[in-house]
Parts: sequence; structure tokens; C-alpha cells
Amino acid sequence: MKDSAISLQNLVFYYGKLKVIDHVSLEIPPGISFGLLGSNGAGKTTLIRLMVGLLKPQSGRVSCLGQMPGPASARNMGYMPQLPSLYTELSVAQNIDFFARIYGLRDRQKRLQRVNEIIKLVDLWPKRNVSVAQLSGGMKQRVSLGCAIVHNPPLLFLDEPTVGLDPELRVHFWDYFKSLTEQGTTLIISSHTMDDAAHCRKLVFMREGRIIALGTPAELKAAVGRPEASLEDAFLYFIRHGEVKSNVQ
Amino acid sequence: MFNNLLAIAQRTIIQLMRDRRTIALIFIVPLVIASLIGVSIPNKEVLNSFLPAMLALLILFFGFLLSGISFLRERSQGTRERLMASPVSRMDILVGYLLGFLLFALVQTLVLFFYTLYVIKVDFTGDLWQVILFQILIGILSVCLGIFISAFARNEFQMVQFIPLIIVPQVFICGVIFPVSQMPEWLQWIAKFLPLTYGVDGIRALMLQGKDLMDIGKEIGALAGYAVVLMILAGMSLRRGKAA
Repeated sequence: MKDSAISLQNLVFYYGKLKVIDHVSLEIPPGISFGLLGSNGAGKTTLIRLMVGLLKPQSGRVSCLGQMPGPASARNMGYMPQLPSLYTELSVAQNIDFFARIYGLRDRQKRLQRVNEIIKLVDLWPKRNVSVAQLSGGMKQRVSLGCAIVHNPPLLFLDEPTVGLDPELRVHFWDYFKSLTEQGTTLIISSHTMDDAAHCRKLVFMREGRIIALGTPAELKAAVGRPEASLEDAFLYFIRHGEVKSNVQ
Repeated sequence: MFNNLLAIAQRTIIQLMRDRRTIALIFIVPLVIASLIGVSIPNKEVLNSFLPAMLALLILFFGFLLSGISFLRERSQGTRERLMASPVSRMDILVGYLLGFLLFALVQTLVLFFYTLYVIKVDFTGDLWQVILFQILIGILSVCLGIFISAFARNEFQMVQFIPLIIVPQVFICGVIFPVSQMPEWLQWIAKFLPLTYGVDGIRALMLQGKDLMDIGKEIGALAGYAVVLMILAGMSLRRGKAA
């Protein structure tokens, strides 16, 4: 698809002899939140790593915003890994400032302003000069998100962004993600919780490296055939029925 | 063009500066070692020969250890993955690290140099700037060695285990303690392939024999060769598309 934010064609990836991604093809339109749902080991993180260029597929093709993943396209992407992945000796502000700098925010004054904006956005202003090592898990998650969005990328990869967050913060995060998609940002979000899935505009269910279903949350629930079916029911339905093609493209 | 590598260098420096205990140890440990050597070797001639070799050894050791462990932590904390997904190139990472650690290695060299000169009173006939340039070369080599070797360690404990494998044999074989010429022929042959041999010979020539950099072309060439090879290997260990 020409206008896709992300295009994956027949991706195959092995860790050693283990096939982790099994012939995955996907077209993700721009400006939506797209969920990768599946249990642990389904291949969600590996798929994200392939999309950001951290891994190279053994076969198949990845295209993000019309480019192969690599240093040239990385400026347009934000990546929040599953673990907080921060410099624990540095403060909140120093971490965000470092990532702002390597993503091309060179003007010191503008960068400082943007870093301060982000610190306030992730609600860590009182902790801005505290070293990351001293923060709680949820606070580290927030710093990690701040590092991923500081350069305002049009394409944002979030690997399990709400793990370890309290319910209030989870709502806050999702409100922010929604505002990002309204501004045109494409969000790729991996999760194994159906609460997160419900917030996505479109999603795929993954199992053993394969996509077993694709659609909007409403479409996936409708496939179960019961009006009161939840996303969890839908997920179990697609797992039990084995190989299921996408019901909606 | 240099923005990314300077950002990485600056971050490396700030990171270490915030770890005050490590900073204190970086500077105090070499002075303690030098002092012990100073008081335990009464023979001035032996002392004169030994302490310059210690300068070369310590920069190799600390450069290797600091860069290796920092890089390993970069991987175990997941920040390497984050860096590799960003627009920075492998060269930015390598040179950024080099600049960051060289600063500490050089300050350490200067502190140790002046300590051996004015406190332990080693005889010195040479130019300080030439010694510093030569130490920079060993420093570059040691940082690349640390980054490369860290690719084979899964945790800090494993990284430390590489010290007896990579650094300690060089202490015995490369002429730090005993002259290479007095060793069995096969050991002399091995010494020719170890970088510290050239580091020790070069720094002794600069500090004790009144020679300058132009006179130690062989040592500089060998160390530069090692540095280039290790830089390539370290760069390869940072390849994108490689599982972290």
C-alpha cells in the first residue's frame, strides 16, 4: 500500500533455529494507534525491533514512512523499549536532554524548552534533577516515554508502555497517545493486556510469530458471534480457531 | 556532523562524574600502586625502569576496564538498543566513547606522571607532551579493546574475568617487570604480538632514553595498527540488525 506508514512484506525472522516471526505481512495506515497484541513470546517485541531496524529479517521487507529502517530514517521514529533503558546515573532532565540532542534538537535554548515541556508532560517536574536510579518503576517508564517523544516523531514505537503504571497514569498515557494520533502521529503499541487493546484504533492478535487476526476492536469482537463478547473472548476465539485470516483490511 | 559524538562523549563524562566513588578510585588507586612500588623497590635503577611501564600499563588497564564495563552496562540497561535505534552511527558511538574516556585516562596519566616525577622522583629525560600523545594512542587502543571484548561478556562479573585473560599476561610477558630479552625465545616471540610490549618500550624510550616520537616509529606504528584493527572489530560488534 503506497500510503502506509509501515509496510511489512512476508517477514521471517529466526533467533538461531527458532522461528520467531513467521511470514508476517502488514500495512499500517498513518495517524492511528495500532496495537500488537499477544501473550508473552508471541513475537511482538521482535516485530517492533524489526520495524525500528534493530534486527534484520532473514527474508521479507520492512518499510517505515517509505524508507528502509536505519540511521537515516531513525530521526522520524521514536522508540520506547520494553525495559526503561535509561542512564541510571543521570538525572531525568539529563536523560531526556541527551536523547533530544542525538535526535537532532541542536539549538540549546529550544532544546531546554522542549525538555522542560516533556518533563512537565510526564509529570516529573519535581524530580527533574533526581537521578533515574532513585525513581520508582512507573516514574522510569515516564522518563522512558519522554525520551522517545522528545523530538516529536511522526512514527512512534512503544513496547509495552503501560506496564507497571498505576491506573490513573495509564489513563493519562492513553489520553496523551490519543492526542498524538490526532496530530497525525502513527503509534505502534505492543501489549498483552486487553485494556490497552481497547484503546487502539486497529490491532493484530499475534501467536507464535504469526498474525492470527487483524481489525478494529469492534470488528474483532464481532467475529466471536456474541453481542457481549469482550476483546479477551475475541483473542481466545481466534486462538482456538487456529489460523484465522484478517476479517477486515 | 560532530553533534552526536560530542553528545555521547559529554554524556559519558557526566555519567562518570556523577559516580564520585568511581572517580575517586580512578585517581587514588594508581597513586596507591605507584606509592607501593616506590617504597617497595629500593633500587633506583629498577624503579626508574618500572614506573614508566606502569604508566603504559595503567592506561591500558583502566581504559579497558572503564570502557568495557560501561559498554556492557549500556547493553544490559538497554540503552545500547535505544542508541542503535536512534540516528547515531557506529562511529559516533565509538569516537564519543573514546573522547569521553580519554579525558579521564589523560587526567589520570598526568596525575600519575607528576606523582612519579615529583613525589617518587623518577629520573625523567623527555617532553611531557610527547608522553601524553603516546599515552593517548594507548588509551585509544584500550578503549577499543574494552568495547570489543565487552561483546563477549554477558555481565560485569564476566567482564572482570577477562582481566586475567587479557591484561595480566601482558604484565608478565611485555617487559613491565622483567626485560623481554631475558625470557625464553618462544615467549619473546609471543611478546611481539602483544600491544603492551610496544607501549612499554615506547614510553621508556620517551621518558628514560631521551628519545622523541620520531625515534619510536616502530612502537607507534604497531600501537596504531592495533588501535585500527580493534576499532574495526569494536565497530563490527555494534552492527545494526544484530540481536542485542
